[in-house]
Amino acid sequence: MGYIDISMVSYSLPDGRPLLDEVSFRVGEGSTTALIGANGAGKTTLLRTISGLVKAQAGTVTLDGRALTGMSTEDLPGLGLAHVPEGRGVLAELTVEENLRLGALGARPRSNTAALTRVYELFPVLAERKNKLAHVLSGGERQMLVIGRALLSRPKVLLLDEPSLGLAPKIVVQIFELLRDLVRDDGLTVLLVEQNARSALSIADHGVVLNLGKVVVRDDAATLAGDDALRHAYLGF
Amino acid sequence: MQQLLTTVLTGLTLGVIYAAFALALVLIWRATRIVNFAQAPMAMITTYIALVLIDAGYSYWLGFVAALLSGLVLGAVVERFVVRFVSGKSEVNAVILTLGLFIVLHALAAIIFGSRYRSFPAPFGLRGFQVGDTTIALTGFGVFTILAVGVVMVGLVLLFRGTDLGLRMRASAFNQEVSRLLGVKVGRMLTLGWALAALVGSLSGLLIAGGGLVHPSYMDGVVVYGFVAAVLGGLDSPVGAVVGGVLLGLSLSLVSGYVGSELVPLAALVILMVVLLLKPGGLFASVRERRV
Repeated sequence: MGYIDISMVSYSLPDGRPLLDEVSFRVGEGSTTALIGANGAGKTTLLRTISGLVKAQAGTVTLDGRALTGMSTEDLPGLGLAHVPEGRGVLAELTVEENLRLGALGARPRSNTAALTRVYELFPVLAERKNKLAHVLSGGERQMLVIGRALLSRPKVLLLDEPSLGLAPKIVVQIFELLRDLVRDDGLTVLLVEQNARSALSIADHGVVLNLGKVVVRDDAATLAGDDALRHAYLGF
Repeated sequence: MQQLLTTVLTGLTLGVIYAAFALALVLIWRATRIVNFAQAPMAMITTYIALVLIDAGYSYWLGFVAALLSGLVLGAVVERFVVRFVSGKSEVNAVILTLGLFIVLHALAAIIFGSRYRSFPAPFGLRGFQVGDTTIALTGFGVFTILAVGVVMVGLVLLFRGTDLGLRMRASAFNQEVSRLLGVKVGRMLTLGWALAALVGSLSGLLIAGGGLVHPSYMDGVVVYGFVAAVLGGLDSPVGAVVGGVLLGLSLSLVSGYVGSELVPLAALVILMVVLLLKPGGLFASVRERRV
């Protein structure tokens, strides 16, 4: 289990400017869906709507058929939804291990030390610095920390907002390969928001292109990556 | 030499009370970015609750515990039913709200408990200990004051550093949105934070009242010193609040002992100014940036 249905979701700012306009698509279980589009297309707003940080004015979001709309954000980790926000959301004033423990506390039932050990195996650099404040981590290490923290809440669905932002290309490749492995080996479902459309489509199974709050195309990732007209119009590569 | 010892001991006793009050301010500031001006009258109310019980013939300790527990409840009620309504709005709203609460609690106390001076008992002696044939400035109640504040500090450190609940509370204080995404019930943590802060505030109220007089504004003078202590420490740092409180108590006691007691309020403001000029973030300012 672990699929998300987004159906006719609309959200406008108080001044009436629409950020999301009847957005509908499904994030299938055990696969990666890349949500791509230019700045201001509504990608981040859509993720925030799924996790209840933004209340949509219309439409529904369901996780495994269960309505998330109207639920409070803090209940979602317990249902198997993990959201890694834009800008990574490291709690810089806490230690690396405290950040990870918070992730473990969000799971129902909470994750044990074996799960923590596994994250340390996945990211040895975090184990080396577990008692340091997260403040001292580099950008790539912070991204590893928030992904590790999200994994400790044992998610069925992982929402990732711009994981490549500000990272060296080598690190981006490393993180994307890790995501691909998690989907393949653990059956994780991933909804990946990216401006870096080329990299995102290279690991995704499906792609959704958002433009000015509307879904303009949904298709297989490979098809989207090969569509020259679409690439020029919306994806900029 | 004996005067120095006296001054230092008096300053230390006073300093830990300022520290407790500053800590109460810092706990709330850290979690909600609100300076709780109502902290003093809240502590005044809970001290009156203790006084009513003691005057009714119950023991000092029953009154003491009742005051701390009512502080816990009062803090939670104020957060949940008053401050919660202005959360997410401009911070000025909350500040004005706590100022309003300051006035309301004062008036309520005068109506319920009367505005005359009433004496508050102390559980331990108020006379200095005898060493040989000299009397030193440390009293039994002074020792109790230092120990009580010490116990509360250690308890808070254990809570914040050693428990899952404390971890959740710290996370909520640093970043509410990320905490909610991690499943932390931020609203509850804020209520609990206010409750704990009010408990620490109540303790400072009881310690100041001990062996002295209580009336509706007996805590108001402490606000200034508590606030100065909190700012000295950097407002964000509980450790800073404690160190700031003790340093301020010692400095003011030295001023009072060697220069003149009428200069104490002025000295507090001079200390505040100098620290803010040299280290604008306070002595324990953390290096991190704060996102807006």
